[in-house]
Amino acid sequence: MFELLLNGFLVALTPYNLFIALVGCLVGTLIGVLPGLGPTATLAMLIPLIFSMPPASAMILLTSVYYGAMYGGSTTSILVNIPGESASVITCLDGNKMALQGRAGPALAIAAIGSFIAGTYAVLVLTFFGKTVASYALNFGPAEFFSLMVFGLSTVASLTGKNVIKAVVTTCFGLMISTVGIDLVSGAPRYTFGNPFLQDGIDFVVVAIGMFAFSEVIITAKEVRSGKRGEIIKAKSIWVSWAEFVYSLPSILRGTVFGFFIGMLPGAGATLSTFISYNLEKRICKHPERLGTGDIRGVACPESANNAASGGSLIPLLTLGLPGGGATAIMLGALMMLDITPGPLMFEKHSALLWTLVASMYVGNTLLLILNWPLVNIFARVMTIPTRYLMPIVLVISTIGVWSLSYSEVDLFLTGGAGLLGYYMRMHKYPIEPLVLGLILGGRMEQAYRQALIISKGSLLVFLERPISLGLLIAAVLFLMLPTILAKSKQFQAAREEAA
Amino acid sequence: MRARVRLFTRTRIEGLVIVLLAAGYLWEGHNVPDLYKMPGVPGPTVFPLLLGIVFALAGAWLLLAPDKPDAREAAEGDEKPVGKLRSRLIAHWHTVAMWAVILVYLFVMPDLGFPVATALLLLAFILLLGERRWYVVVGLALGATLVIHLGFALGLNVRLPLGVLTPLLK
Repeated sequence: MFELLLNGFLVALTPYNLFIALVGCLVGTLIGVLPGLGPTATLAMLIPLIFSMPPASAMILLTSVYYGAMYGGSTTSILVNIPGESASVITCLDGNKMALQGRAGPALAIAAIGSFIAGTYAVLVLTFFGKTVASYALNFGPAEFFSLMVFGLSTVASLTGKNVIKAVVTTCFGLMISTVGIDLVSGAPRYTFGNPFLQDGIDFVVVAIGMFAFSEVIITAKEVRSGKRGEIIKAKSIWVSWAEFVYSLPSILRGTVFGFFIGMLPGAGATLSTFISYNLEKRICKHPERLGTGDIRGVACPESANNAASGGSLIPLLTLGLPGGGATAIMLGALMMLDITPGPLMFEKHSALLWTLVASMYVGNTLLLILNWPLVNIFARVMTIPTRYLMPIVLVISTIGVWSLSYSEVDLFLTGGAGLLGYYMRMHKYPIEPLVLGLILGGRMEQAYRQALIISKGSLLVFLERPISLGLLIAAVLFLMLPTILAKSKQFQAAREEAA
Repeated sequence: MRARVRLFTRTRIEGLVIVLLAAGYLWEGHNVPDLYKMPGVPGPTVFPLLLGIVFALAGAWLLLAPDKPDAREAAEGDEKPVGKLRSRLIAHWHTVAMWAVILVYLFVMPDLGFPVATALLLLAFILLLGERRWYVVVGLALGATLVIHLGFALGLNVRLPLGVLTPLLK
């Protein structure tokens, strides 16, 4: 194995492949930064290019873009509170607050460092335990996946917003939006109202840009006009201090491990892993009340989970041929076009390519960290641009992001509507993160639900009879209800003590 | 009068809207033709039915919850709107104007063209945000439009509509 890995490094470190990795990291970071242009669409656009490249170089390009996009997505989350892509939504909670406190540099830096540590961990596990660990994913059937997604959504509902019912409302609404379009199993048009443009469904980017970008621009503009938005505190440092790094290291490690094992589950993806990891972190870390107020751990944990999940999702892709999400599905398509069938025999039939890919992931991770050293400085300076100039430009770029999806006027109308709804929701304390996550996961959740019912011949008890599924559903209920139950219990005890 | 104010709180109105939306969602889902339903296979209405029921129950909770809605809203830190809708809209005319500019931009951009629509949007928005130096407003509007257009159209190959400039530039 070490000899194969060494050969892999020899191939990955050739000048041409190094150049490809560098270009991929840069393009991926840029794509991740721009709201709307996600890694999935970018990878799809690169497919025609890879035919002219050797297979190893093609895969190096695709994985570099993927990793780069995961890092880039956190940049806009931190700087302007607009997630660059779905896996960076949770980074907004603490990242932007840090930027407003003049700590954009440390936020970006810890995102880069956490991503590097997590990416390295993922590659090490793939190197030494890839085949063995892949078998863990085989224990998850449709019922388990459905329950896992219910669990993921319940963690989001419980940690975003104080009112659980409002979070349930927004989660359900996101799931409902995901049902718009042609049903993939039966071909039935659902909630299209005869409009052909709705037959493809509503892309999450359309809703996310409206709800996050447009509403953020208006809210920020209001605050600037009314003087409520204080001057952004002048940045004291561009990089993270040793003390801050040590403080956030446990969160990085926990986010890495949680993110990796969740990301490894086919269908779970980086987005779900960041939400679950953040919520678990909030339950077990010291001083959880600091999370959400601009705590550096609130950036370190989800960004580590994000990158670990990205690496983890390559394990079922390469060893079982099961993609973890949209981006890895594109990579699966690319591999098959190169006449490489991922699966259990990949280690035997295409070992040279596989180990070159593993080696390139080490190289790509390192390149990203080196690249982002100067980029942190540049990105942090974005915070010095006056808001009255920055916000309109963000608005325009976000609109381009929506337009570029399918060049459809209907998408623009929908994003405008989503913007108005998102503004109302933010003004009246309805959390928008669960809605976006529900929209992202809805399709896969429905698929898992129906598959489970087919297997059980229509019996809903399948979700309770399988131990992993039951455990996840119980955990979901506990995450939702426990804070309320504990609060009521404390009130009851206080009342009894007063009466006594 | 005090009891009437408590009955028609915003939360209860939202709850009612949610319940009505859920009812519409369930009704529309029910209208999926039977020919799409295959025997022995969960059909296209199974998941929407589950969602619609949960959505309706959540809406019903907001509508009927026994807690004092005013106290709950105050605890959540909501700003209480003051005055009638018209006077509130006038008081927040900047916000209304910004939304109007955005929505008009989304509506006209495909036909008017990205360059013209974007330049006008930037002009209007920067003015609404308080910039008064005309050379900054015009320069930024035109300069940013040009840079963004070239960057995306040439750099990233995104097809941005030229609209009214098509006869001039093509």
